[in-house]
Amino acid sequence: MAQTVFAPWTDPDQKPLIEFRNVTKRFGDFTAIDTLSLDIYEREFFALLGPSGCGKTTMMRMLAGFETISDGEIILGGQNISAVPPNKRPVNMMFQSYALFPHLSIWENIAFGLKRESRDKDAIAARVEEMLRLTRLTKFAKRKPHQISGGQRQRVALARSLAKAPKLLLLDEPLGALDKKLREETQFELMDIQEKTGTTFVIVTHDQEEAMTVASRIAVMDEGRLVQVATPPVIYEQPNSVYVAGFLGDVTVLEGKARKAGDVYELHWAEGQPPLRCASPLVLSEGQTGYVAVRPEKVEIHHNKPEDDNVLRGKVIDIGYLGNLSTYHVELGNGQIIKAQNFNTERDTRRSFTWEDEVWVNWTDRCGVLLEG
Amino acid sequence: MRRFALIAVPYLWLLVLFLVPFVIVLKISLSDVALARPPYTPQLDFSAGWEGLKTFFSELDFENFVFLTTDSLYWKAYLSSLKIAALSTVLTLLVGYPVAYGMARAATEWRPTLLMLVILPFWTSFLIRVYSWMGILSTEGVLNTVLLKIGIISDPLMIMNTPTAVYIGIVYTYLPFMVLPIYSALEKMDESLIEAAEDLGCSRFAAFWLVTWPLSKNGIIAGCFLVFIPALGEFVIPSLLGGSGTLMIGKVLFEEFFSNRDWPVASAVAVILLLILIIPIILFQRNEQKAREAEG
Repeated sequence: MAQTVFAPWTDPDQKPLIEFRNVTKRFGDFTAIDTLSLDIYEREFFALLGPSGCGKTTMMRMLAGFETISDGEIILGGQNISAVPPNKRPVNMMFQSYALFPHLSIWENIAFGLKRESRDKDAIAARVEEMLRLTRLTKFAKRKPHQISGGQRQRVALARSLAKAPKLLLLDEPLGALDKKLREETQFELMDIQEKTGTTFVIVTHDQEEAMTVASRIAVMDEGRLVQVATPPVIYEQPNSVYVAGFLGDVTVLEGKARKAGDVYELHWAEGQPPLRCASPLVLSEGQTGYVAVRPEKVEIHHNKPEDDNVLRGKVIDIGYLGNLSTYHVELGNGQIIKAQNFNTERDTRRSFTWEDEVWVNWTDRCGVLLEG
Repeated sequence: MRRFALIAVPYLWLLVLFLVPFVIVLKISLSDVALARPPYTPQLDFSAGWEGLKTFFSELDFENFVFLTTDSLYWKAYLSSLKIAALSTVLTLLVGYPVAYGMARAATEWRPTLLMLVILPFWTSFLIRVYSWMGILSTEGVLNTVLLKIGIISDPLMIMNTPTAVYIGIVYTYLPFMVLPIYSALEKMDESLIEAAEDLGCSRFAAFWLVTWPLSKNGIIAGCFLVFIPALGEFVIPSLLGGSGTLMIGKVLFEEFFSNRDWPVASAVAVILLLILIIPIILFQRNEQKAREAEG
């Protein structure tokens, strides 16, 4: 069965659900969001990712209506919502603290938004039951929030924010309060629910793994600006800057002067070390400062010198054993550390590489990423 | 043994500071008035032995309680006290809730200062503060002088020696007891609850009514009892600000004791007042316990 790939952002005929148009938000002298433009499409699971203080929460609160916009406009479904108060927006939010009403039962919490719409009682009850089933909470309907577990509370918060069938659901660090195992399960559950309901989700998170797992596209933010907006594989394999490369996953970054050599670039990065060959669509001038970023899992580690590109000689100084894989820190002659990862595919407890081993590391010219800054 | 000692402390406290005085007052209320010192009979005389004890108990009776029902002054005073205490509790709530709300919503660095300002009046003598209200409210007082100067009124307001003055005095005196429990309930509240309510379609007012108000309910109940219970037996405020026109049981009690020197009737009045107060005290305790259970 052929499935069409979900990528409305590549289709110029698609109208985005949300458009940020040159949006600026200032708190006094501090600019939290700096003339930012962004399109988010219907049915997307869009992640805003960045360190704390990068402005991602401010963006979400502007969408919910809790923060006014200093400049620019936000369009939702073709309508400028800048002046619409939060209770009139077709947007619901799941709060980081969950913000469940402690004096109301689970059932009443989920019904809270529906009751404000003056629907008839049966319709409300039916919708609440549907939400309880969707989030597997039927058994707990009569309990109060303090009588259920953290994971269940998280699902109540989700059910409550989905009950009104919003056009857009905002999730503020939705899994931050859960432990790792539960968080991973819940990530898949979130994706399922997002698919079932067809709602557009915008999630704010500082957890890159979470963003990579759930999102259709990720916006990496830094100091109120978007650094890169792309799908998780593009963000990971083709970062557009050293910042993005370093923010998502593990990476070794080497700085040097770029020179064209045939159809690839050579980065002259250290005296006495061979230049690093790197294929790149970028156009760099002769001698321009460039960076090669290489992910540890793309670096091979050998006992004998291989006949290949980018072969460097060094010594194993640290080993991180993670079970499924091991990370080696290899120190080169000039002190530079290269991270290499090997899968532990055999159950042999004897390691093929150990501390102080003289080794060779290498990666092909397609595995490194050439960056300008 | 240590556990026993630990439990004994609060019971000993209750015994010495509550039960023993109560038994003494109860005994006096069952006695007869006498021109003696102390002004009632019988006196307990242990030297007479068993016979003396017997005659002592045979002389106690409920005659003073019966007397309270025959004179309308007493039940009118009880009713009037209940009315004044209830109404001033409502007034204190109306004034205190916005104050507590404003404090809880103030910037964090301001809260200790605001809290201090609420507590500060307690550092001055209660009597002095009530006397200064006499200076404010009297016919030639500060309030009338200012209002007459500005030209808002042409004749001085007659507030002193009316129930209005008593209400002002009670609201002023007991305001902190209302503000503090409500403040502590509101301060604990997560502000994102209000945002969540608005996000789900509530107007500002609906969010207050459906979330803030029910969540401050325990504070409101606690505050109301803390005002109502002492206001019911209040004596100083009605006698200094209320004049002869205000009938309150605390004042009647004082007059029976010190003007009439009828200790037995005064004690009977006190015992009945205590019985009336036990009901709100039990309700208050139950509310506190429920609040603790809900939190735990």
